[in-house]
Amino acid sequence: MTDGEPLLKLERIKKHFGAIEALRGVDMTVSRGEVVALLGDNGAGKSTLVKIIAGTYPPSSGRLMFEGEERYFASPKEAKAAGIETVYQDLSLCTNADVVANFFMGREITKRYLGIPVLQEREMEKVVAEAMRNAGTKIPSLRVNVENLSGGQRQAIELNRFVHWGGKLVVLDEPFAALGVEQTRRGLEMIRRVAAGGIGVIVITHIMEQAFQVADRLVVIRQGAVAGDLKREETTPEKVIDLITGGTLSDAGTDGDGGNSDPAYQREKTRL
Amino acid sequence: MSPARRATIEFLLDNLVWLMLIVVLAVFSATIPNYFQFGIFANIFEQSTFVGVMAIGLAIVIIAGNLDLSVESTAALSAMVTGMLFASSGVGMGISFSPAWLMPVVSLLIALAVGGIIGFLNGFFVIRVGMSAFIVTLASFIWVRGLVVAISGGRSAQNLAPSIRIIGMEDILGVPLLAWISVLCFAIFAFVMAKTTFGRYITLVGGNKDATFRAGINSDRILWSSFIVAGVLAGLAGWLLAIRTSGATANLGVGMLFNAFAAVVIGGVSLKGGIGKLPGVYAGVLLLYSIHTAINLMGLPAHFTQMILGGLVLAAVLLDTFKLRLREKLL
Ligand SMILES: Nc1ncnc2c1ncn2[C@@H]1O[C@H](COP(=O)(O)OP(=O)(O)O)[C@@H](O)[C@H]1O
Ligand SMILES: [Mg+2]
Repeated sequence: MTDGEPLLKLERIKKHFGAIEALRGVDMTVSRGEVVALLGDNGAGKSTLVKIIAGTYPPSSGRLMFEGEERYFASPKEAKAAGIETVYQDLSLCTNADVVANFFMGREITKRYLGIPVLQEREMEKVVAEAMRNAGTKIPSLRVNVENLSGGQRQAIELNRFVHWGGKLVVLDEPFAALGVEQTRRGLEMIRRVAAGGIGVIVITHIMEQAFQVADRLVVIRQGAVAGDLKREETTPEKVIDLITGGTLSDAGTDGDGGNSDPAYQREKTRL
Repeated sequence: MSPARRATIEFLLDNLVWLMLIVVLAVFSATIPNYFQFGIFANIFEQSTFVGVMAIGLAIVIIAGNLDLSVESTAALSAMVTGMLFASSGVGMGISFSPAWLMPVVSLLIALAVGGIIGFLNGFFVIRVGMSAFIVTLASFIWVRGLVVAISGGRSAQNLAPSIRIIGMEDILGVPLLAWISVLCFAIFAFVMAKTTFGRYITLVGGNKDATFRAGINSDRILWSSFIVAGVLAGLAGWLLAIRTSGATANLGVGMLFNAFAAVVIGGVSLKGGIGKLPGVYAGVLLLYSIHTAINLMGLPAHFTQMILGGLVLAAVLLDTFKLRLREKLL
């Protein structure tokens, strides 16, 4: 797994939306089999970075090296083809379709009759049932539309989806926000298992405890730039929180909230 | 609530239009003299053809999350082009060649191409330029009709070549061939929507376009295709209309858009996108023409049809809202 060169290498990635400079030169790496936790306050630029890696939009400048080659992903399709799987912060499910249709979205099993690709529903359902069973996810029926499922069940579908499809690098943007304690524990285990299989993982979380539980390395983003890149063994939650807030926590009277790990509170802020 | 019970209720809600069709037909048959006859039902079938074929395309565009107001004018343009090329009187040029069987084929291909071009243009402005589908297709509704009047000088084409007209005169099992053509179209597109990746992607894009894009589906291409399909089907409807009327007039098909729209909504297609099935749309068309026929048979003035249809559309939209609420309760 260790052939020296990182799986993903970002060099001076910048992104601006009009006058807003969301990212101002981010450098980071992820190696095969490594779990990197990406931390940062709301609005730090984490989701923007995720979307650039996923091919949703291009960076304004900077280089993206994947498997040692400079790559430019014009669409999520190209990033996927290269082996990058992404679970977005705002889920990517079609609630008007059933669990099976969502699980296979874009990669349906088909059989050609007279050149026409015909969906193989039974085959697909079997695969999904198997994947759900392996992950211990309970969903009343795989033929129920996703709109009838809870937030936790939806998130579980997305997580199972990426585990099933695999790839070389997975990027998870706050994947546990809607999950319960037990499901989160399973999710963290799943990440370790995926990484043990040689896949690189980037996971964004607001919860320090989760980051320290699952990550090999922690990268802190503050105001669109990397504020710290630390091995887990060589740092502490307190240090990381200081980096997230720019050390303001030790100063009096600032409004840093990096230490507030209540996901509901964080989500509310994100919406603003 | 048990999943089985919920599934039953969902099934009933999804197929409500069929239930309505059966009830309406039963009530009309019992109360209106001469309604319950094979000839009447065959006639309902035949009348449903033109709006039916058009409604398929409209439904597909709506399921994909857009709107196409241009289908009626597109059908009129295809009919007029067919009439002008292959009819012998009026503005018709009376082109004819042999073998005779090639004429319906060539005229059909031309009509489909005309529809496809309009659909392509609609798609271009909506997807490439990023304009709202409502505005783009409303504009097409107007300029395409203008084009029909312009190329015909407001006059009509009559006496379509007999080798093409023959399609409007044949019947199978006592039901006109034209009606079978629309049944075939519904069968084909119901299959496409339910069983192929194209149909699956139409539904998914209508549900959440961003999600399909992220999943690597070329959602723009799917949307664009939906406009082209709607245009081609409107072209087919126009060709069938030209056959039925043995030519075309400049105001051919005026009012069909509303009927097609009504059928689509009554048939259970949600204007929000992502929801609806084509068999339901066919039931919606049949329901519409069952009511038309009943009103004719009773000798009521035609504006009654309009009032009833307006009421039905309103009821269908209300029902859509009601279904959503009921679903939420079922959770
Ligand atoms: N599509 C967009 N258009 C304009 N501004 C954006 C867009 N996406 C993100 N931003 C801005 O970029 C900054 C970083 O946002 P984001 O990456 O979502 O942060 P995080 O995920 O770390 O909370 C914020 O200031 C946000 O308002
Ligand atoms: Mg974010």
